[in-house]
Amino acid sequence: MVKKPSKGRQKIEISKIPKKNHLQVTFSKRRSGLFKKASELCTLCGANVAIIVFSPAGKVFSFGHPDVESIVDRFFTCNPMPEPNGLHLIEAHRNASVRELNLQLTQVLNQLEAEKKRGEILSQMRRAGQTQCWWEAPINELSMPELEQLKVSMEELKKVVLRQGDKLLMEAANPSPFYMINGSSAMVDPIEIERKPSEIHGNVHNFGYGQGFF
Amino acid sequence: MTRKKVKLAYITNDSARKATFKKRKKGLMKKVSELSTLCGIDACAILYSPYDSQPEVWPSPLGVQRVLAHFKKMPEMEQSKKMVNQESFLRQRIAKGNEQLKKQRKDNREKEITQVMYQSLTGKGLQNLNIVDLNDLGWMIDQNLKDIHKRIESLNKEAQSQAAAAAAAAAGQLIKTGGKVQEEKPAFDSMDAIQRQQWFVDLVNPNEQMGFAGDDMMLPFGDNNHNALWPNGFFP
Repeated sequence: MVKKPSKGRQKIEISKIPKKNHLQVTFSKRRSGLFKKASELCTLCGANVAIIVFSPAGKVFSFGHPDVESIVDRFFTCNPMPEPNGLHLIEAHRNASVRELNLQLTQVLNQLEAEKKRGEILSQMRRAGQTQCWWEAPINELSMPELEQLKVSMEELKKVVLRQGDKLLMEAANPSPFYMINGSSAMVDPIEIERKPSEIHGNVHNFGYGQGFF
Repeated sequence: MTRKKVKLAYITNDSARKATFKKRKKGLMKKVSELSTLCGIDACAILYSPYDSQPEVWPSPLGVQRVLAHFKKMPEMEQSKKMVNQESFLRQRIAKGNEQLKKQRKDNREKEITQVMYQSLTGKGLQNLNIVDLNDLGWMIDQNLKDIHKRIESLNKEAQSQAAAAAAAAAGQLIKTGGKVQEEKPAFDSMDAIQRQQWFVDLVNPNEQMGFAGDDMMLPFGDNNHNALWPNGFFP
């Protein structure tokens, strides 16, 4: 799947965009970016701002700090003095809230970036695997004998997985006394693992064994 | 242009703050202007700084008044529907970020489990996997088996219809080429079709012990009487 390269980081002409779809997408992205820049300016430099934009469809978007209405009023009344003292407490509270939210946002964006990087690495591994092993290729590219072979191997693997799953569940249900002797039974935490025996397999007959021996 | 990541907090250093303000104010106005021109829409910006009692505006005081008049004319609900302040705007962005994060994590988990699956196909043990991993792995194997099965079926259908078509054509030929009336041979009796079908039967024969591309994959297992039903909760 090849993504079309975006026009970002390219110089574009500043004149009305001819294609409607392109125009709408650009509006959406740039409006969001504009509000982001305005928000940053307010946080970094303590500015007060109001931005009002009309969408191509006629809807109105606005951003204001502390809020659109007060800035608009201030503009109309040509009032050099900002709001009276009494509101400073509210202002302070709001600023603290904004600081907190900014931290949260930074955290989320960092996590997102990390996950994207991880995704890239995993994709690379997959691509590398596909050049080396025929069975890692997309299923639609495999020949009939290959499909058959893969099917059999997958079915065998499934059996192994089920067996291992059973083993883990049994260990969880019946912690062996051997662990206790060592004093460190950290590996066995029977209550934590959620047991859904009926969903995983229909043949659970180990719980009658009692403690210890299986 | 610096590419250092700037901390989103009030700049306490006065000169640094003033310099940043100047640059970013200019950039902001430029962006408003570009948005207006590129999309052919009305817009305005009003900016109050601690350095000036008079606001900086775009496009111009008169232009701002015009846009504000248009704004005020709209019904209250329309005005406030898409109105945000820093708090609400940040909450929006956080929500969106969380959504994207969730999706990215889900995609990554899928990729990860796929890797585990391919690695265990070549003999890597399952000891390091916990019960959740095993569950997800089992689900992934099932999905793959489904896809493989579908693909085998569709290839079979394709070949069968090709065989039938070929047989019909062959039968048609027989009828045409015979001067005397030849017996119509039904499709089955056409050698090509039978040969083709036999090939598939051989392939699908599960009794053949098929090696795994050189690797010794076939592990000796006892029988198991599991009805595997993986809980649907693969992705939390």
